[in-house]
Amino acid sequence: MFNQSSIGGFGGTPTPSSANPMKDFEVTQPPDDSISSLAFSPATLPQNFLIAASWDNNVRCWEIEQTGKSVPKSMQACGGPVLDVCWSDDGTKVFMAGCDKQAKAWDLGSNQVIQVAQHDAPIKTCHWIKASNYSCLMTGSWDKTLKFWDTRTPNPMMSINLPERCYCADVDYPMAVVGTAGRQIIVYQLDGKPQQYKVLDSPLKYQHRCVAIFRDKKKSPTGYALGSVEGRVAIQYVNPANPKDNFTFKCHRSNGAPNGYQDIYAVNDIAFHPVHGTLATVGSDGSFSFWDKDARTKLKSSDLMEQPITRCAFNSNGQIFAYAVSYDWSKGHEFYNSTKKNYIFLRSCYDELKPRTSS
Amino acid sequence: MGRKKKKMSKPWCWYCNREFEDEKILIQHQKAKHFKCHICHKKLYTGPGLSIHCMQVHKETIDKVPNSLPNRTNIEIEIYGMEGIPAADLREHERQRLGSVSGTVSGSDDEDEPASKRAKPEGLLGNAPGVMPGMPGMMSGMIPPPGMPPGLPMMAMGPMGPQFMHPGEFSMHMMPPHMAMMQTQGGPAKPLFPSAIPTSSPGASIVGADFKPISSATISAPPTTNTPSSSDGNKVNTIATTGATSKIIHPAEDISLEEIRCRQPKYARSIPAKSEESASSSSTAASDLANAVSAAQQAAAQAKQAEAINQAAMMQRFPVRVSGPPITMALPGGPVMAPMRPTMIPGPPTLIGGHLMRPPPISMPPEYYYRMIGVPPGMVYGAHMFPAGPMLTPMMQPRFR
Repeated sequence: MFNQSSIGGFGGTPTPSSANPMKDFEVTQPPDDSISSLAFSPATLPQNFLIAASWDNNVRCWEIEQTGKSVPKSMQACGGPVLDVCWSDDGTKVFMAGCDKQAKAWDLGSNQVIQVAQHDAPIKTCHWIKASNYSCLMTGSWDKTLKFWDTRTPNPMMSINLPERCYCADVDYPMAVVGTAGRQIIVYQLDGKPQQYKVLDSPLKYQHRCVAIFRDKKKSPTGYALGSVEGRVAIQYVNPANPKDNFTFKCHRSNGAPNGYQDIYAVNDIAFHPVHGTLATVGSDGSFSFWDKDARTKLKSSDLMEQPITRCAFNSNGQIFAYAVSYDWSKGHEFYNSTKKNYIFLRSCYDELKPRTSS
Repeated sequence: MGRKKKKMSKPWCWYCNREFEDEKILIQHQKAKHFKCHICHKKLYTGPGLSIHCMQVHKETIDKVPNSLPNRTNIEIEIYGMEGIPAADLREHERQRLGSVSGTVSGSDDEDEPASKRAKPEGLLGNAPGVMPGMPGMMSGMIPPPGMPPGLPMMAMGPMGPQFMHPGEFSMHMMPPHMAMMQTQGGPAKPLFPSAIPTSSPGASIVGADFKPISSATISAPPTTNTPSSSDGNKVNTIATTGATSKIIHPAEDISLEEIRCRQPKYARSIPAKSEESASSSSTAASDLANAVSAAQQAAAQAKQAEAINQAAMMQRFPVRVSGPPITMALPGGPVMAPMRPTMIPGPPTLIGGHLMRPPPISMPPEYYYRMIGVPPGMVYGAHMFPAGPMLTPMMQPRFR
């Protein structure tokens, strides 16, 4: 059904099939440098907007139509490479954080940008928290702090010291989880006010790279999936009913190279499907995989892209899976080719992520 | 049993008829080629062991020993090195080796066999020659425990089953295994890691194409040398990227890829923040986006109200030079905006595709401008590429159908 290799381009050169092995919809006018973050608009907006942050200092916005067509809408510049973006819960604003040590709020209605957060080092993560009695932006930085901003005052509502630099974080109210350098994991509870809930030993032996919160059957956050640079994901419950509920699995590894070595790649991003609760992982190997953590099975794995997949995202109703193909620095600067085109692909994914039926 | 044949025969693998210099290498060969689980690459110790492992761990039935000759696929025979090879096959192998000296030799060998150890006919064993070692209980006693390190089979064997070994044949069993390997096996290059030896054992060249040389997964998590970095962060930790059979594709320094990338001069020069400038310069760029979003804003009128207050507060603190539209946007009224954006028609349905009718945003970068200009207004881009109905549904949520 989706066998067109080139969707967008607006008359540009067609995408070679090797760049799009899964024959997915290509987002038009992709960023000029690696894509560092992807985020779909929340369900409060009737349309699907996709926001992508890039190392070219810009944040771009497209409208994604039901046909799979992407329409560039707007672009906003920051003072340095942008490392993370997120939406406000009402879909009116996008928050952008990055190497300029600032986080900014981009009001899409007025197209205004205002600074809302400041750190002493680049900000690696930003997440919008919508609680019953407050709403704020949470920023995690390499300055070893986690700060909470109400976006109206120049000082943070709260600042929490981290044991190490923040490498990854996720928020699903009332839970937040932060993975840091030195393989530490801290879980926060956000109701009332943010406070540390638990510091956990890492189940992984290598550097943390990405984390995503998952929910239980009653749709409340109950645990998280943590990815490391050593091609491995840990599924961890915050309060496991049974220690055996926690487990790790390997992913994003080569199938035994001719030289006898197996190449192990970083897990760059993890996203949970908003409806099915299954998950997607993307890796430096240039593939994405879909998994059912409850059945502990792989649902699908993609062919290899030409470059690593840096980030991925599901849209609010779980119909669209977006993934960004661009260089992630995993082989160092020698392998960086700035002339290589970056891609964002869109895949109709709803059925592919249906959990394995227990027979 | 095998030990009495030592004087005239090199150890050989029953499964693939290959000869080896040393039974240790034979055993490593068998573990790597014939007793390795194709799912998790765990090396088992016998055919039945593999079969039970696959059944219990992976719920899969293995009916043939991997990489075996067509008439030697029987998985139920318990063979470990030279131990357990059916007597008839031992005789046949010997006979073929010695050529013409056949009938009498094998007959006499048969007589040498103690009666209690003589092979018993086993009708159920498929295409195996119909015999089985008469000592399954003793054989199982020889099987090293599963937790044994793969690189050290003989070390563990030594104390466990000396009564089954010929003293001469295993005289080197106290040596480190790789040392023994080097002495007895001249051919392949010496691996740096003992654990890599099984993959480079002589059997490697004869396996079928389907048996990939993945030794890897058994050591997929090489021991890490990096400890959690101290909180002062001054030490530069490294990642053990290269294991015995695997390589982690990551710079050796144990800091995030983004931190490494940030050091590049290209990214390091951080432009001083000019939020005012960026806000005003591209204030019209997102006008059509603003239209779309405004619909949602109206829907979320309540939130919008608070938004307006927020915005007012923010503007007070951060003096932002705002040109016309943004201020009106702050008001919760759609009609105010309409005159400024003639093409805007509130409401989601008309917004889909409506962008094509709008003039290109003036402050967009040139390539955006030209590309958008280049599209004829009437061209419904999707129409050619996506013939109507079916194409819409997959990406579409039910309410749009």
